[in-house]
Parts: sequence; structure tokens; C-alpha cells
Amino acid sequence: MTTRVVTLANRNNASYEVDARRPLLEALRDHGIDLPYGCKYGGCITCAAKLTAGQVDQRRQVALNNRQVNDGYVILCVARPVTDITLEIGVECHDKLYRNPFLDPLKPHELKADIATPEEH
Amino acid sequence: MTSDCCGPGYASPAEAIRAPREKLLYTIAIYTGTGIQKPDYLATVDVDPESPTYSQVIHRLEMPGIGDELHHMGWNACSSCFDDGSMSRKYLILPGVRSNNLHIVDTASDPRAPRLHKVIDGAEIRAKADLSGPHTVHCLGSEIIISFLGDAKGEAPGGYLHLNKDFEIVGRWENSMGAIKFGYDFWYQPRHNVMVSSEWAAPNTFMPGFDLEEVGHLKYGRELHFWDFEKREPIESMYLGEDGLIPLEVKFHHDPDSTHGFCGAALSSNVIHWWKDGADKWQWEKIIDVENEPHPDWPIPVPGVMSAILVSMDDKYLYLNNWLHGDMRQYDISDPHNPVLTGQVWMGGLLGRAPVVNGVTIAGGPQMFQLSLDGRRLYVTTSLFSTWDNQFYPEIRERGGVMVMIDCDPENGGMTLNPDFIVDFGKEPNGPSRCHEARYPGGDCTSDIWL
Repeated sequence: MTTRVVTLANRNNASYEVDARRPLLEALRDHGIDLPYGCKYGGCITCAAKLTAGQVDQRRQVALNNRQVNDGYVILCVARPVTDITLEIGVECHDKLYRNPFLDPLKPHELKADIATPEEH
Repeated sequence: MTSDCCGPGYASPAEAIRAPREKLLYTIAIYTGTGIQKPDYLATVDVDPESPTYSQVIHRLEMPGIGDELHHMGWNACSSCFDDGSMSRKYLILPGVRSNNLHIVDTASDPRAPRLHKVIDGAEIRAKADLSGPHTVHCLGSEIIISFLGDAKGEAPGGYLHLNKDFEIVGRWENSMGAIKFGYDFWYQPRHNVMVSSEWAAPNTFMPGFDLEEVGHLKYGRELHFWDFEKREPIESMYLGEDGLIPLEVKFHHDPDSTHGFCGAALSSNVIHWWKDGADKWQWEKIIDVENEPHPDWPIPVPGVMSAILVSMDDKYLYLNNWLHGDMRQYDISDPHNPVLTGQVWMGGLLGRAPVVNGVTIAGGPQMFQLSLDGRRLYVTTSLFSTWDNQFYPEIRERGGVMVMIDCDPENGGMTLNPDFIVDFGKEPNGPSRCHEARYPGGDCTSDIWL
């Protein structure tokens, strides 16, 4: 079994060894970490956490727009660790996840992947 | 409401109006998306003014798991099987929008303390019917039909799940979704062999939150659909355009002979009226247009966001909310082509007109509401949907939702906030929760359809 180490920055840097092939939500819950979740297929954002170091594979997520992805958010119910990673978990890390859509519009490249257009330079 | 001679509900809307006053009501309350790791629950609220626990939550039925996001609910039976003595209005069906689970709750054995009867697992529904994102529950006779907004992967348009009276999955109800792009609410009027359905968005679009730009990318609905109810397929769609952005709740007149119905277009903040004309053709028109309001901190005027509408049992009044503005309105729709504003109450909202109600600082605005059968008491809650709450009213995390009561005058029109009633879900034992849809044990103004 290939394993990765997950460090939870906002849980006193507690670290856990997880199976690299399993979704992080499942693997961390098996370690007894109490995490929010909803749909469990990557569509609803309830389980979002913030990745502050390392890489994950979250190609199956369809909930995040590109601004949220660029802000480091990952959808734990489908994301798998590619490297050792550091996460902030729970709603404490949701500071940038929710924004008033009228006050803070998205640019075309910040939309969800299926409708985003490449950023112009 | 059962007897030896007949089944649940009432012989007619006029009979329903004369029913005894409600003493209890049920509302769902959520922790999903709030940061509190507890199950969502069904709260029983005491609404009997003679009771020592009036205006309090007297029971909480927790769901078995976390993360459901309870939202709307519906009865297993209503006046559509009034003639069937073998049926009774006993079970409330509580779908979890995010988990896909359907919770069947027995409210009859002990109405004050409902108990869980059965859970239909969300995974089973995905596997057997390829559906996710459950919303509206209606019964017709002993059949139960539930709209789902997505397929098993959360993509639109979803479809309709058919349950039998024992809450077993029969399969998909509809024979075809035709060219329908999205699902949401629906209502039917059997004497005219018609069902009307509306459009929100795919679960994968609306569940994570609201990106305004996705409206322009046609990720949100703007059509109403008219169905051949017996053939179970759509026959005509009305393109509402800019007048009908995000058409959500649909209500027919309660009078089963009427063809008139109404839809609240949430983002346009308009009420759409439809009816069948003398040539047997369905027509629609915009009858109410809530103007956007200026806000000192906003670059553009604030839309009302009319997320719900309701028609009184006598078909005389239409009630609507403006979730972002913060007002509830009552219109006399005696002439459905020409509604007259007869009442308005402010509670919460972004415009700051009534930040405190009965001593409680309101986070959110008027959102979901339920009217008593006699049309005199309107119970209003403030949370829309966890992710959308978090975007527009982030302070709701700390404050939770509230339920208020508005006294309505069905004779002369008019509405006033009741000073003696408020249920503060910010003070719940497990921390601030958010209440949403409400229903009464004896039926209410959004439960019953007459054959």
C-alpha cells in the first residue's frame, strides 16, 4: 500500500498516514477525524478543506470554481493525496470559500472548469 | 382527520378552511454546512397559545447521519385520497438534498414526538433510478412522486422518483423528460390532466453556492413546463426569458376546477401567472415585478430573491418573500390578472429595515413560509440553503435561523408581525441551527391536491 502523510495544520499539526488511493474524507474519518460532508461524490462543497502544502488529485470534483481551486480548496470526498500534504479542515478554513456573488464577481477564468475561458495576459 | 367513512384530508378546500386550528407544526432544522457536526433534525414546535410551551421547540428527531441537508418535505397522503379509508396522513417524507436519503417519519403514533419509520438509502436511489438532489414531495392517491434535480452524478435535468404507499421504489415516474433542461418544483391539477414543473439548476451547480455568472452561462433555469399528467410527459414549455430567471415554486389554485397557477421567479423577483384560455391554450403573463433596491455597499441594486410563494386555501391571497430585501408580501389575487398589494411585513434582510424582531436579531431574511388552513397565521423561517446562506448572510452561522408568525387578515387583507411568537433556532441545545420548511399534522396550504 502506498501511503502519504496528512498534517492537519489547525488541529495542532496532528499527522496521519493514509492510503494514497483512497479519498481523504474516508481515510481521515477512519482515523477518527470528525469532518463535515454531504454528497460524497464531489458535487456539493460541504467537505471542502484548504490545502496549504503538497498536491492532491481531485479531478473528480465538480463543485469548486477556479477561484476556489486557486485559493487552495480541495474536496475531501473525492481528493486523493499525491504527495504528503498539509490541510486546514472544517468551516474555520472556509473564509474564502463563500463570497457574495453580487459584490465580488468572478472573472471569466475564475468560473468552474467547464465554462471558464483561459486568462488573458 | 380519519374516520370510518373516509381517508385523510378534507372533502374540499372549503372544508379544509373550517378544520381545527393547528396546535403543532414541524419544521426541519439543519446543521449541514454550519460547522456543527450534528445530524439535521425535525423539530416539533408548539403553536398552541394555551400551552405553557407555546412558541418553543418541544421535540427534536435527529436523522441517523450527518450531511443530509433536509430542505422540503411532504406527506404520504393528502386530500387526494379522502375517499380511501385505508389511507391516513401518517408519514412525513424528509429528503436530504445532499445525501439523497429519504427519511420516512411517523408523525401519527405520537404527534408531539415523531419517530423514524424507515430510511431509503440515497445510494439505492442512485443505483435503481439514476437520480440525486431530491426536492418536492407530492402524493396523489396512494402514490408518492418526488422531484430530483439531478442524475446520479448530479447533472441536470434529473427526473421523478415514484414510491408506492409502502415506500418502496417503483422506479422513475415520468415516461419522458422531453427537452426539459432542469427540474425543481411541481404541482398538478388532475381535473385538467396537467402538471407544471419549474427549473432551478443541476445539483452540481446550486449545491456549492451561487455564482451569478452561471446564470448567463445558462446553468440556471428560465422555463416552465406543462405536462400531460396521465401520459407522464411534458407537452409544452414556456420560455420566460429575463422575466423568469430561476423560476422556483409553482402553485395551482386549490380549487381543483381552476386552471390558474403561479410561479415565483427568484432572481427576476417576479410572479408569473398561467391559465388556460377560451381556446384551450395555456397562456402566461408577469403579474408582479418586485423592483431591485439600491444598497449603499452594492455596485448594483439588490434583487428581492423571491424564493417561495404560497396561495391561501380560499385562493384569494398570494404570499411571497424577498429573501435579500427582507419583506413578506400579501397580494389579493381575486382577479389573478391584476393582483393588489394588501400587506407587507419586514423582518431581517440586507436593506436594514427590520434587523430585530421580537428581541431577536435576524440573520437572513424571510424565506420559507406556511399558512394555516384558515388563512390567519403565516409561519415564516429565514434560511434558504446552507451554502447560499453562507454567501449572503454569513452571520447566520452564529445566530442560526428563526421562525416568526405573521397575523393575516383574510377578510380585509393586511398582515402584522405577531409580538408573542418567535422561535430562536440560534439557542438550540447543540448550537445554532437553521429552520426551513414547516408543515402541520392536519395538512396545510401546500400539502393537498383534490381529484
